[in-house]
Amino acid sequence: MATFGDSILYLSIIVSVIALLGLLLKELKNNNILARFVSPLVLLAAGFLTFAYMLITYYFVTSDFTYEYVWQYSSRDLPFIYKLSGAWAGQQGTYLLWAWVIFLSAAWLALTTKHATPIARRTQIITLAVGVYLIILTLVQTPFKSIYEGRPDLLGFVPPDGSGLNALLVNFWMVIHPPLIFIGYAVMTIPFAAAVVYLLTKDEGWEEMSRQWSRFTWLFLGLGIAVGGVWAYLVLGWGGFWAWDPVETASFIPWLTLTGFLHAAALHRKNKATFSIAAPVLAIISFILILYAAIVVRSGLFNSVHAFGETSTGTLLITLILIIFVGTLILGMRRYFEESEKEEEWGLWSKRNIFYLSLLLFVILAFVSFWGISFPAFVQLTQNLKVNVASDTKNFFNVWSYPFTLILLLALGFCLNYKESEKEARKKTLYAVTAITIIAMFIRTENFYVLDHNSPFFVREPLIYQLLGSISLLSIFPPLIYVAYATLQRLQDYLRLSSMRPKVKGVGLAMVHFGVVFILFGAVISSSFTHTNDRINIPLAAKGELLDVGGGYGVKLIDSSTRSLTEATDSGAGSPGTRISNIKSDPASYVNNNVVVSGKVTGVAYTQSNTTPVTYTAYFKLDDGTGDIWVATQSTDPLTIPEGVDLTARGYMMADFTSPSTKTTYDLLLFSQPDEISDTSASVAGSDKYRVQSVKLEVYQNDRIIGSGIAEYLEGKGGGSGTFPMVSRGITGTDVYVIFQGVGGGFVPLTLKIIPAINITWLGILFFAIGIILIMAVKTKSRGD
Amino acid sequence: MKTKKLLSIIVLILIIAFAFVSYETALSKFRLSDKNYTYLADLTWHRQFDKGLQIAQEENKPVAIYFWAVWCQYCAAFQTNTLGNAQINKMLKEDYVLMAMDLDVDKDVAQKFGVSYPPVVVFLDANGKEVDRTIGAVDAGTFLPIATKVRDQVRRK
Repeated sequence: MATFGDSILYLSIIVSVIALLGLLLKELKNNNILARFVSPLVLLAAGFLTFAYMLITYYFVTSDFTYEYVWQYSSRDLPFIYKLSGAWAGQQGTYLLWAWVIFLSAAWLALTTKHATPIARRTQIITLAVGVYLIILTLVQTPFKSIYEGRPDLLGFVPPDGSGLNALLVNFWMVIHPPLIFIGYAVMTIPFAAAVVYLLTKDEGWEEMSRQWSRFTWLFLGLGIAVGGVWAYLVLGWGGFWAWDPVETASFIPWLTLTGFLHAAALHRKNKATFSIAAPVLAIISFILILYAAIVVRSGLFNSVHAFGETSTGTLLITLILIIFVGTLILGMRRYFEESEKEEEWGLWSKRNIFYLSLLLFVILAFVSFWGISFPAFVQLTQNLKVNVASDTKNFFNVWSYPFTLILLLALGFCLNYKESEKEARKKTLYAVTAITIIAMFIRTENFYVLDHNSPFFVREPLIYQLLGSISLLSIFPPLIYVAYATLQRLQDYLRLSSMRPKVKGVGLAMVHFGVVFILFGAVISSSFTHTNDRINIPLAAKGELLDVGGGYGVKLIDSSTRSLTEATDSGAGSPGTRISNIKSDPASYVNNNVVVSGKVTGVAYTQSNTTPVTYTAYFKLDDGTGDIWVATQSTDPLTIPEGVDLTARGYMMADFTSPSTKTTYDLLLFSQPDEISDTSASVAGSDKYRVQSVKLEVYQNDRIIGSGIAEYLEGKGGGSGTFPMVSRGITGTDVYVIFQGVGGGFVPLTLKIIPAINITWLGILFFAIGIILIMAVKTKSRGD
Repeated sequence: MKTKKLLSIIVLILIIAFAFVSYETALSKFRLSDKNYTYLADLTWHRQFDKGLQIAQEENKPVAIYFWAVWCQYCAAFQTNTLGNAQINKMLKEDYVLMAMDLDVDKDVAQKFGVSYPPVVVFLDANGKEVDRTIGAVDAGTFLPIATKVRDQVRRK
């Protein structure tokens, strides 16, 4: 039996199919019988989906674990915000989110256009069709699946707690990353639909209709990717924001083609004959690649940190891709043969031609990424053979992308700098910059090349990769300076205009292109000049001492502590056993009984007997934050209890015990066997608490403090873990970055990275976002109107 | 010919050439594993633990299990400098039954031997009993005596 949530989804399908029917009747038979109801029906469908989304969120917030999805991605001890975000933590929820946003867009389309024009109606038809398809996908893998489905034996059983969110996802950036990406995915449906309509019917106004939507997609998808990068930087402890992981790459590919589309559309709107095929085809390709990205995430074929496992909806997505792909191919070819006769010659150095070259470069860059993640999966599928694209995966992408990025930057500089009247002079500038760039490619440096020459992977790469990898990265600077200069020139031209709108738009355009310069500059510098020092081990006992870790750097451990995620401080509350304060306040009920206590070791004393065989005894004080208690343990082998670690001890509580060797009397002593003492952090990994170990650190360079902060290590349920490095920003834009991987054996293992210029990349992303928002804010009238 | 058409054709050829070259390179140089074997340091390693052990028993040869990972930088250096060393490579090829365990795939074998961070090579006798192991990207000078010692020890039995 369908659950309540599923019924809502079915209702929304019925409603939108009727709306679709109304539009089709109008379109094909010019029958207005249902036309009046179309807009209200679209709104109603959007309302149903909104309700469905609220419903799943409600189940999460109230921890209703009778739903498999809720049980899978949530648990009672999660903070409220992670209960909200649990709704989009898994595939099931993201499909629902995707479908919901498509219908919100459809509703917006209905309200703004009232389906008055053919292009609006036809775009709405395709949008609704895609929307319904997405609801079907949601239903195939429904988030509303009850745990009782197919398990009548479970009926009446309510799980006491959920299995919990993956520790890596318990982070603010992961809360906002999926919605940004999926809103971007969903909103792209409208430019796609408009482009298909245009290819099919040559309807005017498709570009106007899709303009803001495509910019919106570009913004959200871009921010989503960037936030994913921030997450990788701050959470995964990769020490970088980009690792060419198949899933991050997969969402980057449609963003590249979409960037191409935005540029094509910019010229297309001025002259409808320009890019009349390239522009719509790029919009459609972007949409196809978005669907492809969804498959990459879901198939489990791609070796990635995101690997969600194989699912049934993959086939449905591939079917949709094939339909759209074949359809586009036919439509595109038809248009091409219709228009090829009347096509005019542009000339090699015309702005349109350089723009066209840029579009091709975006496509090439997208293809490099596409091919790099796809063919290993293809080889595995067809030949059951696992291959890597290069000795080190990232080398493949860097080597092939770099030359095309250079050419793209040169083309970008030329276009920004373009002036019909001064074309010859501008061409000379381009030649000069190109010449300097080529010379710079051959300058030999210590190790500032496309590929890291010191990496052990480098010598294993094939000759062509080594050759391309030996291009000096100095060659990025002339094009970057050229672009920055041309952008400034362009900005001045815009600012000279009298009216406000083009001024704002000019500032927006300039910011986006400055963003490109910043991002590439930050990426090149930070990835080439990062100083890494791994395998640092600081003994917990060395707290407060400055330890030299080599390379002129020193690290001081200020403090270490453990807490559970939901409670501010725990030390005891979340640990196994009895609180020490309870024992102290009522010793009588614990003495001569078996008791479990846990806490941090704050003092140790060792004794040994003068008998043969020798018996070694260790006395150590455990502090759980509520109080402390002495524990003793004996063995015939020498014992070491590291100070500062969190231990759990089970034993027999004794009162007024006097040590035979030191004559010290303990009013309370827990007598424990060595095998009954365990590392608390280790035992907690298997229990059901999120536990955070944190260390407070100071980093010094030549005895001068350069950074301080807290590095954390989170252990989730079932042993999953997440590292939250310490990131300390310097004034110079250099990050002091320390990864902490959990206390082991009384040591704090750390990796220290000094990462320069990374903040310039973040600044570039900020520029991207603000720039495109400014452009969106200005509603320029198309000259074609 | 029109410039635009020419550009498009050049780009198309470029893309096809790139796709072909990178595909061929990967297939010939960067084969990691198939269903039965792993290909690292120009050696062929068994992927199934039980099967490898069975062969070792039949041939009365010692076993070397190499724990590695795709992302492991030290493994790359270890494969080139240590496993790639001519003497070591020859000895492993002739006198050992080789197994390679991908830490991201063969998690249970890794757990069985308590390996959590690559590269690690565990040496077993023909009966599957651990004799020795090397931890980390040790150099050829460290690796060779251990591998020789284990081989001779197993032969003497």
